Amino acid sequence: MATANATGGGDEEWMRMNDTRWRGLGLTDSIKNIEDKWLLLPAFLKVKGLVKQHIDSFNYFVDVDIKNILKANNKVTSDVDPRFWLKYTDISVGFPDRTDPDAIDKSITPHECRLRDTTYSAPIYVTIQYTRGKKIVKRPNVCIGRLPIMLRSNKCVLAGRSEAMLARMTECPLDPGGYFIVKGTEKVILVQEQLSKNRIIVETDPVKQIVQASCTSSTHGGLKSKTYVVTKKGKIYLRHNSIAEDVPIAIALKALGIQSDKEILLLTAGTTEAYRSTFSQCLEEAAKLGVFTRHQALEFIGAKVKVNRKVVGPRRPAWEEALEALATIVLAHVTVKGTNLRPKAIFVGTMTRRVLMAMNDEKMVDDRDYVGNKRLELAGQLLALLFEDLFKTFNVTLKSGIDKVLKKPSRTTEFDAFNTMQFTGDLITSGFVRAISTGNWSLKRFKMDRAGVTHVLSRLSFISALGMMTRISSQFEKTRKVSGPRALQPSQWGMLCPSDTPEGEACGLVKNLALMTHITTDVDEEPIIRLAYLLGVEDISLATGTEIYSPGTFVVHINGSIIGITRYATRFVYNFRKLRRAGKVSEFVGVYTNHHQKAIHVASDGGRICRPMIIVEDGKPRVKMEHIEMLKRGEVTFDWFLHEGLVEYLDVNEENDSYIALYESTVEPTTTHLEIEPFTILGAVAGLIPYPHHNQSPRNTYQCAMGKQAIGAIAYNQLNRIDTLLYLMVYPQQPMVKTKTIELVGYDKLPAGQNATVAVMSYSGYDIEDALILNKSSLDRGYGRCQVLRKYTTLIRRYPNGTFDRLADAPVENGQIHKKYDIIQPDGLAGVGERVEPGDVYINKQTPANANDNSFTGQASAVSYKNSPMAYKSPIPGNIDKVMITDTDNDQTLIKVLIRQTRRPELGDKFSSRHGQKGVCGLIVNQEDMPFNDQGICPDTIMNPHGFPSRMTVGKMIELLAGKAGVLAGKLQYGTAFGGSKVEDMARILVENGFNYAGKDILTSGITGEPHEAYTFFGPIYYQKLKHMVMDKMHARARGPRATLTRQPTEGRSREGGLRLGEMERDCLIGYGATQLLLERLMISSDKFEVNACEDCGLMGYNGWCTYCKSSKKMAQLTIPYAAKLLFQEMMAMNVVPRLILADAS
Amino acid sequence: MNQQQQPATGSQPGASFYMGQRLEMEYLCADCGAKNEIRPREPIRCRECGHRIMYKKRTKRMVQFEAR
Repeated sequence: MATANATGGGDEEWMRMNDTRWRGLGLTDSIKNIEDKWLLLPAFLKVKGLVKQHIDSFNYFVDVDIKNILKANNKVTSDVDPRFWLKYTDISVGFPDRTDPDAIDKSITPHECRLRDTTYSAPIYVTIQYTRGKKIVKRPNVCIGRLPIMLRSNKCVLAGRSEAMLARMTECPLDPGGYFIVKGTEKVILVQEQLSKNRIIVETDPVKQIVQASCTSSTHGGLKSKTYVVTKKGKIYLRHNSIAEDVPIAIALKALGIQSDKEILLLTAGTTEAYRSTFSQCLEEAAKLGVFTRHQALEFIGAKVKVNRKVVGPRRPAWEEALEALATIVLAHVTVKGTNLRPKAIFVGTMTRRVLMAMNDEKMVDDRDYVGNKRLELAGQLLALLFEDLFKTFNVTLKSGIDKVLKKPSRTTEFDAFNTMQFTGDLITSGFVRAISTGNWSLKRFKMDRAGVTHVLSRLSFISALGMMTRISSQFEKTRKVSGPRALQPSQWGMLCPSDTPEGEACGLVKNLALMTHITTDVDEEPIIRLAYLLGVEDISLATGTEIYSPGTFVVHINGSIIGITRYATRFVYNFRKLRRAGKVSEFVGVYTNHHQKAIHVASDGGRICRPMIIVEDGKPRVKMEHIEMLKRGEVTFDWFLHEGLVEYLDVNEENDSYIALYESTVEPTTTHLEIEPFTILGAVAGLIPYPHHNQSPRNTYQCAMGKQAIGAIAYNQLNRIDTLLYLMVYPQQPMVKTKTIELVGYDKLPAGQNATVAVMSYSGYDIEDALILNKSSLDRGYGRCQVLRKYTTLIRRYPNGTFDRLADAPVENGQIHKKYDIIQPDGLAGVGERVEPGDVYINKQTPANANDNSFTGQASAVSYKNSPMAYKSPIPGNIDKVMITDTDNDQTLIKVLIRQTRRPELGDKFSSRHGQKGVCGLIVNQEDMPFNDQGICPDTIMNPHGFPSRMTVGKMIELLAGKAGVLAGKLQYGTAFGGSKVEDMARILVENGFNYAGKDILTSGITGEPHEAYTFFGPIYYQKLKHMVMDKMHARARGPRATLTRQPTEGRSREGGLRLGEMERDCLIGYGATQLLLERLMISSDKFEVNACEDCGLMGYNGWCTYCKSSKKMAQLTIPYAAKLLFQEMMAMNVVPRLILADAS
Repeated sequence: MNQQQQPATGSQPGASFYMGQRLEMEYLCADCGAKNEIRPREPIRCRECGHRIMYKKRTKRMVQFEAR
């Protein structure tokens, strides 16, 4: 809630609202609790889904925005024939279909696109009207290109399908959608975080003594510009990119039509004496510069305007230049009707006043990092920009195509623009595909050049895919050492997850959405402005500074632009909210009062973060028990709650203007809202942690990173997928200790881990540094067992010269098939199910010897072939899981082979619990050597107790306790954040079942057979197996391949590289003085090379002969690194002579 | 798929004729599961449903797994 330290008259009512005994209700009045109000959350998710932001944004683009874009660019004319025109009257996006002309069933499923490496896209149809000769022709449903379709959007075939129908389409019902399939890969357009547009942001630089108010204007036409009002030596100036110099603010205002000094003073400083005296020198400056009238001011500015226009005709006078710049470029978002620049003048006046306020009181600045000042850009907006750019390019190409035809003096047939349109090609299609698959959004038209907008959807685990969909990337530079943008903002509460952020360089810059957040899409502001006037707002153009800044008057802003003033701020806001709750205004319109600025802000723009909350009226929540009962019976949905005005969305700014109770018991008479559930402040990934409120906060952050690496089930269609790399757990289990989030996201259906019985004790010495001891028998029973499936793919290509690749059966040598071709079947592909040993061939492909010879014109069947088989490289044998054969879009045969390895845990494999406690397997012990309790229960894992004191993961201990109680009671327990099963209840269950209340057991040593002297904390903890396995990392080399250029050992495990003795290691050896070791490591074992050098000239020769001296007299042989020899030669090539000066040569 | 049906010409390193009976390989349609044959340089399409994805059938040979 905003602090009430603002100056002025509005504070009294503010204080009154804060009074706890408002309307006669006291704190002690008893309130009945609404049970199960958290059920609103699943209802919310049912309507919106987990990735509703993406899908809503895409739907908005496809249904609304694309039509607006068309309207803005709907006419194509010709320079050659003025009578010709072509108009787009309508645009629509169809459903995804096959491009294949002779297909019977045109519908296509996303899964087919994944398998066939095609794009899941739908045609864009336009209706055109154009002139053909003297007639006007109308043509509906002309396809201008194809748009990749977001999965589960309303254009997707998966939208609104039942689980059974999804299963028929081999699609997982738990898959969130919200991504695209482009050329067979799943691509996500990440949410981008930006500073809000069209709003004034006031900042100070305490070092340079600068105060500045800035405003980034952005209009729908795509114009973007930034306007500043800044102080310089105590005076205020207007700064803009298109004006070369800073303009004194008084002159700027004069140019905007506020001619008299009195009016300027009123519009900026108002009647406040302090501001007036600060502003006086600005007025003085204008007078000193001899600017008194509007014309003089315009002339003054006009001399400095950068003319960014091709000169056509005579040069315009300076004042006209200035007028145009001020009307169109400066603060472009403020609408100017005719030549009435008054709204703009008032906007500049307001900016100036904000600067004056900040000069007088440094607390009156805005916070850039405040979430209310942020806007999130989603797939829909980015695609809209891309489409507009492509569509404009399309029209330009179309126009030049039409001009080219019309230029010809005589034509055989009547000109039909439709034919030209068909010839314009797949500009839009390929534009979309290229942008999404590379992630480069470089739109010169909109001065946008962004890379890395899209990412491949990580399918490592279900959670990693889900986590990716809620990720927000920030536009800030990663290298900058400012902590502001990285810090956790209090306004993030409930909107962005406080735990889920990566460690390291992107820490705090990459964020994740909380569970209940929604991101708004644009709502038309025209009706809202009308409504504001109806609610008693007076038009701003009719007001002067006296009224605007008089006490008790509030300025009304709609989406940043000032529209009017009101003296009844509370009533206006109250009525406005009332209308919104009644459904007369879109539920995503936010309204709030800013008491410091004496302003009411109404926001209807897209990209605001908001979340639903229960409305509290007269100290009572509007959602009652009966409503929840109705919800439970399935009679109503979440939308009904919204419609009835029981629940409403609040954006960050409005949230800050409300008084929200966390629990019903804390509702006070002044309370305006009630949280639906406190655990929704966490995101989907952090929601998996049981009892996170008992953990040290960084542990939760670590788990958020590790949960994405856990091996488990990925999707219901996981066995039908052919991914480059797929990790699957053989026997995944749902956790004993669940959370509500787990149930909501479906982690209990697609789990990634197993409930291991853990003994928290020391065992052998192989458990230091977080290492775990595993029970060998548990491994035999399938604990931690996983499968790794890898895709190998090849194209059976057809070459431009008519030749083609082919598959051949296994070659026979002396009547025998070589062992490595053993599994190849007559079609040249390995048999499904066969075991593949390292080095085995699984695709016996042959390519024509002259594939790239384009001059070849002979018979394709007559060419000779060379072998290019694909052989299995991994050191561990696998099995052929699947062999798929299909055709791609351009009719090349595509073969995908899926090879499966089954791995059981081994020494060095990485495991982690759900509390950021990772560790590697340190020892595998036979079950007979493991400790056991009186019931004969034996742990699967032994964890060293030293992991607890410094990590303070109390949540893990409670998880063990709750898990143990759950096992004994035969029930799953809850560890939901800020709630969950209580420790006391768990202890009671344990005692009832004859166990120690603290979860400790008496264990007997498996080695000695004696009981342990201490009690052991013993019970189930959910353990995840992480994807880092020694098998993929283990590497050593004695001798091996070398790089051709330097003759040094290659780098990296994949190239069987050497182990690097790096710079720092080298420093150690130098420091120690171990010269012989240095020499051996850096030269002898690396790239030693014998050269012949001449003692006379110092150059290198060969075979004891100096080519420079033409003699062999003074030649010496020495050993140097090959890289050094290479350097000398390269320098010589650059006309630099390095000479070797030899001592002690003979 | 098999190229050996073609009138093979010239020296073909590695590729030899598959002696014995020339049994046609069968593939399964990913959509309807119908048995299909694939001929070289012909579009891959199911005879029954027109689906474009084929899977290879499981090998007839015995496969032994190590139970560990």
